[in-house]
Amino acid sequence: MTGVRLFPTCVADTVARRTVDDATRVLERLGIRVDGGRGTTCCGQPGFNSGHDGPARAVARATLRALDDGGDAPILVPSGSCASMIRLHWRELFHGTPDAIGAARIARRVRELSAYLADHVDALRALDLRSDVRVGYHDSCHMLRELRLRDEPRAVLATVSGLELVEVRGAERCCGFGGTFSGRYPEVSVAMADSKIADAEAADIDLLVSADPGCLLQLGGRMSRTGSPVRVAHVATVLAEALP
Amino acid sequence: MTDRASFLAAVRSTPRGDDPGLPARDAVPDAPTELRPGEDRLDRLQVEAELVATTVVRVDPAGVAEAVAAALVAEGAQSVALADDLGPHHDAIREVCPDAVAYADVAQDRVRAAGLDATVTGCHAAVAATGSIVTTGHGGRAAALIAPVHVCVVRAAQVVDGLHALVTGPTLDGVGSMFALQSGPSRSADIEKTLIVGVHGPGRVHLILVED
Amino acid sequence: MSAPVEDALGRPLPPGWAAPAHAPDDDALTATTFTERAHEGLGRPFQRTAIANATDHTTAALHQRFAGVDHEALRDEARRIRAHAIAQLPTYLEQWIDRAEERGIVVHYAADAAEARSIVAGICRDEDVRRVVKSKSMASEEVALNSAIEGIGVDVVETDLGEFVVQAMGDRPSHVIAPILHRTRGEVRDLFSAMAGEELPDDPEALTRFAREGLRHAFVTADAGISGGNFLIAETGEVAMVTNEGNGRLTTSLPRVHIALVGIEKLLPRRRDLGVLLPLLTGHGTGQQITTYVSVLGGPRAAQEPDGPDAMHVVLLDAGRSALLGGPFEEALHCIRCGACQNVCPVYRQVGGHAYGWVYGGPIGAVLTPLFRGQRDGGELSHATTLCGACDDICPVRIPLHDLLLRLRERRVQEGAAPLGERVAFALWGHLWSHPMLYRTSTAAARGALGLLAQGDVVRRQVPGLRRWTAGRDLPLWRRR
Repeated sequence: MTGVRLFPTCVADTVARRTVDDATRVLERLGIRVDGGRGTTCCGQPGFNSGHDGPARAVARATLRALDDGGDAPILVPSGSCASMIRLHWRELFHGTPDAIGAARIARRVRELSAYLADHVDALRALDLRSDVRVGYHDSCHMLRELRLRDEPRAVLATVSGLELVEVRGAERCCGFGGTFSGRYPEVSVAMADSKIADAEAADIDLLVSADPGCLLQLGGRMSRTGSPVRVAHVATVLAEALP
Repeated sequence: MTDRASFLAAVRSTPRGDDPGLPARDAVPDAPTELRPGEDRLDRLQVEAELVATTVVRVDPAGVAEAVAAALVAEGAQSVALADDLGPHHDAIREVCPDAVAYADVAQDRVRAAGLDATVTGCHAAVAATGSIVTTGHGGRAAALIAPVHVCVVRAAQVVDGLHALVTGPTLDGVGSMFALQSGPSRSADIEKTLIVGVHGPGRVHLILVED
Repeated sequence: MSAPVEDALGRPLPPGWAAPAHAPDDDALTATTFTERAHEGLGRPFQRTAIANATDHTTAALHQRFAGVDHEALRDEARRIRAHAIAQLPTYLEQWIDRAEERGIVVHYAADAAEARSIVAGICRDEDVRRVVKSKSMASEEVALNSAIEGIGVDVVETDLGEFVVQAMGDRPSHVIAPILHRTRGEVRDLFSAMAGEELPDDPEALTRFAREGLRHAFVTADAGISGGNFLIAETGEVAMVTNEGNGRLTTSLPRVHIALVGIEKLLPRRRDLGVLLPLLTGHGTGQQITTYVSVLGGPRAAQEPDGPDAMHVVLLDAGRSALLGGPFEEALHCIRCGACQNVCPVYRQVGGHAYGWVYGGPIGAVLTPLFRGQRDGGELSHATTLCGACDDICPVRIPLHDLLLRLRERRVQEGAAPLGERVAFALWGHLWSHPMLYRTSTAAARGALGLLAQGDVVRRQVPGLRRWTAGRDLPLWRRR
């Protein structure tokens, strides 16, 4: 049986443990052994993106050491942004440090969850996933523009029978989360979310799906505050809820 | 006040970044401003010029003066200036516009120039892929813009394929103090992105394309 | 020395035309924060709708424009040309100066904004200039040129329609290509009606006609024309300039003196390079194949030429540019000012151009402002972005704006310009979350606290530490089932 490591991420550890559980359930139903591992913390992105490279390196190093288990199983990340941080920015963060080689080793193993699942669409289809929701997919920024993953999450969602996937206007426009941006400039951040939510509501969807918990917190939190008829869900949650 | 030497010293004092070198001078870029393979040069010129709201008529050499006159009549132009870059067609046009003044005679009197109804000019070249007329200082910097109507005579032999051919070939040798491209009437979308033509330059442009 | 109030057509200039300018002299950048300026922008629903419509339209036109060609290869080529030109800037600058002087262009050197202002003022004095017409120039916005030459009694009339409105309102342009995107036609009508002394219709066409008439007076009476320049062509000593309205051409053709104020980074090695850069500038700027007017100016009027200025001056502007050469921010100098990054920026879309506090808005503004104005004045702007990367994807010369913004944030921390609270918070974060056990303890504690605060599956309460989130949003909790 194939095995994978799952790196939960700090956002999931704090407010979205269900996302990790849902991802685990789906992977296990595919016959994939999931090792949650221990000792990971955060990928370091909040510090790195704020220019605080020292603290970012210290935090990321803890996660690096926990993930560097001597194996070569894929390391799945249920967040496009964190996956992008490790795959593309760890090299720079650890450049010139004793962890540089380890960072490159982990970067090679890391895969964004839906990109990994996209390699298993036949197996997903065989699970007889069913749903009756009308969904739109929100492209999270780093996943789309850094990892270049556009079709993969859509292909995964398309394995659910009865699920109607529509393209929402401006799907690739940023939701306004931006990590620390959401706290630095809350008014701008919320206005950006409103613009996305207006597009989602105009598309008359039930569910706005993404593969990034950060975007989901931002959009879901704002929808909850304004009483929007649209809700949000992680790709993993959509799949888990579609399991027979 | 900073002089040339100290100004350049500030620029020179820093280490240089990576230098990727330059693309070859004669390599034609794959750009929207170039002719596509198999395209007819004059057809493309007409299509592009019409796309930017230029009125295009194609005539043989004997029909040039008549076409110019027709355009001026259609526009109701009374005071007309002729530029002196009309080449072989100058005299024939002169004949059909007996009251026209020479652009060179009015150009220095800005008030009078600004009161013209139309200018008739030749051109130095035309660019097929962009629908542009190329003028130079010799014909007059403002000759194409000063009046609400511009009538331009373009000879087929003056038309080059695209922007690359214009800026690399011998076409621009000896153009004088400047050269310029104009593509259609003057436009602005500054007020609520509403497209308005005829802002500072002409509102209507006629291109008389002369085929041999 | 005072400007004549009648024009050469024998008619008096309308009141608004004779002394239209009162440029804003307060410096928004230092007087206010991004949060305050953004708040003002967010409070202008017209502006937000106008920006969304206009920028979506331009971006769609851009993609359509390059649909039939190898757009990526063209961008690679443009990047290469710009990178080479900037890497070899001393050589090309010197070459340009030599060629330009051979052509009879008088070249001036402005190391900073103050020098640029006094050079232009000096030219106006020496050439006995009493009225100036200007075509749009971001460099002149950078150095706040208008108020300086008005200060010596010269009339300045902006002739780009949008810039004219900006000037008459005492406003600032909010977009590099579309200066009055933030203004309604109603506002323009009210302004022009006041100038005309009669009620004008609420119709862009009629309003444009009104401006054309008045600006014609300015063109035929001006002694000097001041322009910017889009490119300096090293091999020929020329200045290339694009406009759509035609004001740029008239500005550089009708008055007896032409003064161009151009940043030194605008160099292109060869005329040939226009074949690559022009379609990218116009395609990314407005979606056009080519702008209506492209002027390539190589000196004053020559003998035998019927019109044109008797003198052409070019003021080369450094003002912070040479300091970027060879450093981590050199690529910011590759910018050709097309505005495409601003058009796709989701932050700009909400807050508008004025929120950036200085002359450049959007991502390139968030990069250039701290670089040109210093960390203390503009450093905050590097955080006025979500790092979404849309700007990187659209830049015609592939400036890595996302990376430049990150580097600016890093430099802000290194230079000690980040607020103390932020530094303490990240130090604490770095300490706690670099130890898995402390991490587990802190996330468990956070879960516990959030659980206590939750109402159902969301936290809504505005308690300290959460308020910046919960003021406008709930915090959803997706707990284990």
